[in-house]
Amino acid sequence: MSAQTGMTGSPAGPVTPVPAGLPSGPGNGSTRQGSARPSGGPAGRGRRAETRAAWVLALPFCILFLAFTAWPVIQSFFMSFTDTKAKDLKHPFSVNVIGLDNYTKALSDPIFRKSAVNTAYFVLIGMPLTLVMALAAAVALDKGISRFRAVFRLGFYLPVITSIVAVAVVWRFLLQDPGGLINTALGWVGIDGPNWLGDPKWSMPALIMMAAWRNFGTAMIIFLAGLQSVPAELHEAAAIDGAGVWQRFRNVTMPLLRPTLLFVMVTTAIGYLQFFEEPYVMTQGGPLNSTMSLTYATFNQFGFGNYGLAAAMSYIIFVVIAIVTAVQFRLLRERS
Amino acid sequence: MSVDTAPRLARTRPPGASAPQSGMVGSHHGGRWWLYLILVIALVAVVAPFVWMVLGSFKSDGELQQIPPTWWPQSASLDNYTHLFTQLNFKQFFANSAIVAVVVTVGNLLFCSMLGYALAMLDFKGKRVIFIAVMTTLMIPGVVTFVPLFVLVANAGLVDTLPGIFLPFLVAPFGVFLMRQFIIGLPKDLLDAGRVDGAGELRIFAQIILPLCGPALATLGILTFLGSWNNFLWPLVVAQSEEKYTLPVALALYSTGQNSTNYGLLLAGATVVIIPILAVFLIFQRRFIEGIATTGIK
Amino acid sequence: MRRTTITVACMTAAALTMTACGRSADNGGAAAQTGAAVSTGAAKGNLTMWAMGAEGDKLPELIKDFETANPGLTVKVTAIPWNAAHDKFMTAVTANKTPDLAMVGTTWMGELAGSDALDPTPSQIDKSAFFDGAQKTTEVGGTSFGIPWYVETRVVFYRSDLAKKAGFDTVPSDQAGLKEMAKAMQTKAGAKWGLGLQAGGTGSWQSLMPFAWSNGADLTKDGGKAYNFDSPQMLESMKYYQSYFTDGISDKAAPATPTTEPDFASGKVPMFISGPWEMSGVEKVGGAGFKDKYNVAPIPAGSAGSSSFVGGSNLAVFKSTQNRDAAWKLVQWLAQPDVQAKWYTMSTDLPSVKSAWQDPKLTSDKKLAVFGKQLETAKAPPSFSTWEQVVANLDTELEKVTKTGADPAAALKTVQQQADSVGTGQ
Repeated sequence: MSAQTGMTGSPAGPVTPVPAGLPSGPGNGSTRQGSARPSGGPAGRGRRAETRAAWVLALPFCILFLAFTAWPVIQSFFMSFTDTKAKDLKHPFSVNVIGLDNYTKALSDPIFRKSAVNTAYFVLIGMPLTLVMALAAAVALDKGISRFRAVFRLGFYLPVITSIVAVAVVWRFLLQDPGGLINTALGWVGIDGPNWLGDPKWSMPALIMMAAWRNFGTAMIIFLAGLQSVPAELHEAAAIDGAGVWQRFRNVTMPLLRPTLLFVMVTTAIGYLQFFEEPYVMTQGGPLNSTMSLTYATFNQFGFGNYGLAAAMSYIIFVVIAIVTAVQFRLLRERS
Repeated sequence: MSVDTAPRLARTRPPGASAPQSGMVGSHHGGRWWLYLILVIALVAVVAPFVWMVLGSFKSDGELQQIPPTWWPQSASLDNYTHLFTQLNFKQFFANSAIVAVVVTVGNLLFCSMLGYALAMLDFKGKRVIFIAVMTTLMIPGVVTFVPLFVLVANAGLVDTLPGIFLPFLVAPFGVFLMRQFIIGLPKDLLDAGRVDGAGELRIFAQIILPLCGPALATLGILTFLGSWNNFLWPLVVAQSEEKYTLPVALALYSTGQNSTNYGLLLAGATVVIIPILAVFLIFQRRFIEGIATTGIK
Repeated sequence: MRRTTITVACMTAAALTMTACGRSADNGGAAAQTGAAVSTGAAKGNLTMWAMGAEGDKLPELIKDFETANPGLTVKVTAIPWNAAHDKFMTAVTANKTPDLAMVGTTWMGELAGSDALDPTPSQIDKSAFFDGAQKTTEVGGTSFGIPWYVETRVVFYRSDLAKKAGFDTVPSDQAGLKEMAKAMQTKAGAKWGLGLQAGGTGSWQSLMPFAWSNGADLTKDGGKAYNFDSPQMLESMKYYQSYFTDGISDKAAPATPTTEPDFASGKVPMFISGPWEMSGVEKVGGAGFKDKYNVAPIPAGSAGSSSFVGGSNLAVFKSTQNRDAAWKLVQWLAQPDVQAKWYTMSTDLPSVKSAWQDPKLTSDKKLAVFGKQLETAKAPPSFSTWEQVVANLDTELEKVTKTGADPAAALKTVQQQADSVGTGQ
């Protein structure tokens, strides 16, 4: 599979964090129960009408899901327990079931392990960086200035909509050592910039910079909306009480921003844990596998035709994503 | 901090009200010149690569490979663009991309809001199962279902058709999640009021809830359109003849070679691809921001 | 209660499905085959053909001549981007949605043939007409599938003006001499790096193997049944390769995407090893008159003469074709020397047919003649379906050898072990 697959769990979106407009509602994802209604009698009829309507509304999703998602997921999950290779795909049942062998093979593969470490590095540094940049920009645009906001909004969002291949061309030139813009700029302040893409120590930081540049616009726009719905009255009340700008931010803005923050963190994490395009176009996983990511390693296995193994790797990634998502929900749960 | 009052306050403010006023209590508007300066520097840094890309589309391939890279074109020419438009059957590819993107977007807007509403507001058996299905699909790496999905589509006879390109994406779980979160923030009394008035369940959805979802729909619309417009691998694999290619596939055709890349064409193509997205973004931008603002974020 | 029943039912279904799986006992390699003969006479009907990139773009014009000669035939060429073409082929094979014939990258033959997707070449097609190394790229398990269509090979590019300053009129014909020249470029002609070699990483085996093959390395052993990385010739070649980096002649820290052309034009790296496309590549960057400032030379000979890597693309007919006759006729036509020469003028792709090189358009270009000569002895890797996976290990180990000074002997042992555990996939 090459770059620009344009697919994540939600096939319409690009691989890097798909921007989502909305934060979770109260309770962060817990389903709000329908109003309590007794069964039997006219209320019971109402309930049945509700159920019928719900199924009508759910029908298109269910049909398309069963047709295009359920079977591929089941088939690939099943494949992960066999030794399926590319040439076996025409006869999916003429393969040997090898149980958890693929999973143990993946987990003991040194390249897979290195990718896991690299991915963790990327997420742990890249996510906070992206979110801080996004929040700072959002706060500045929301409260700090009153004119040209639309210009800044569009400008900061531009990297999100630019094609990854063009981004790579530009960033490769930016990161050149010597002669690239970044090292030239660093030179003006007397710093000798490193060989970003050729040095295993600096390749990941280079990619993190690129990913943060590319994705902070999305998070910024969501934060902007979150900030705009903090009622002016609360800020005024706090200001009257003598709270300074920073205190107001910490005690008024941040608590109200918590649901937005959770949503952005969850979606960014899902995207970043699967980062693939940046190393694919910039470094091919090198140098010395310092930028090899989990998804890239999996992609390579698909490329080699080791479908069973690659499927197992994909589901390992899925488990990691699920755990990280669950942890974030837990940590940022509403405490009300 | 009450969880319920905030959204009410947020929603009673007129849409597009200038929020910055609230943060500027007691400070001058013009006194923030230093902030403008920082933002402009940041903007330049963020936008510079994009500007370089557009400038690069007017350069020759040889100039593009120079080190150190040039900024302004040494001899600007429209060659890349003429090459692109004469060689490519541009209208056809643009039309294909547009059809697919519009169908996917409309489909998502409709079906995701339907299911999102059901999951948010209605009570029914199987609700939990469906929600889990949605979230799980969101978290599974797309690469693992790619080949089985293609085999499926091939067996259904949908290869080399536009429906083959857009059908699998008509209801993205991401959109369902988004609409659900938004609709959950709406007051439940609306439903009861509708029921008391004797409206059927589906009418409540169509005439009461949906109109309130305008901003969220605009948001989902932009994001879905973006994803579909830039999608490369799936349309490539499904199309068997060039007539069914979408724009990103066609552009890759001319710019990437076996052993070398034509950077001039690549950048020109990338610039051209962005324009519709920019247009969609600008048109929906007002609705977009305002949309997120009035979703009852607490 | 209901939930448990459903769960049990699902698990039973899964278990039953699992037990229904299993490979049939005999998946072993068939004996070498040749395809059935193709009828004579005009070709008829419809053909669908896939071709990548610029070739896909220009091919329809070339094929017009064939269609004129065969009025009952229509050929539809679909151009595919190189980017993701491999994925497109593999998914098409899986879903049985392949065209009648296609242009296929030489390194994909093993996989495609292994998936039983290709039709063996009929005996009517004379295999000896093609360059030997190129012909071997079509052979999987002894059977030839398709023909080589166009080829490329790697030679030494060098700045002739800077070479004079360094005291060399041309590239020495032995490996030690090449190194001396590269070193002299640094000391006497102001180059930063004498020779541009890839320091490991994806595809770096294509830089190493010309030296290895020149030293007589053979990538298979036991009559082509197993990989052979851990051989004295490979070791010698790897040590030689490593020495460029340890002696500071080649750049260890070059980024993954090389800046070959600008470095060549500026004289920073005045020598490199690559294929014919780089001629227009460096001339584009070098500007007017640059073509007189550089020249090409064959890979220096090792103990087994001068050899190089041959690549390019093949033409293959798919087994599922409904119009086998016409497909093979088209293939035969594309292999005719005059058609090959005409294709060269249209696309600058080098002909795979030896006699096509007699054409004046090819003999008049001195630089091309070097490529032509090199093609006679150039080699290709074995077309095993596991080649890509196995050679990726070689790339990784080579990277450690060049960048961190790891021991080549240990590296080759590791590669051999991994290759043995993966197997040849035959």
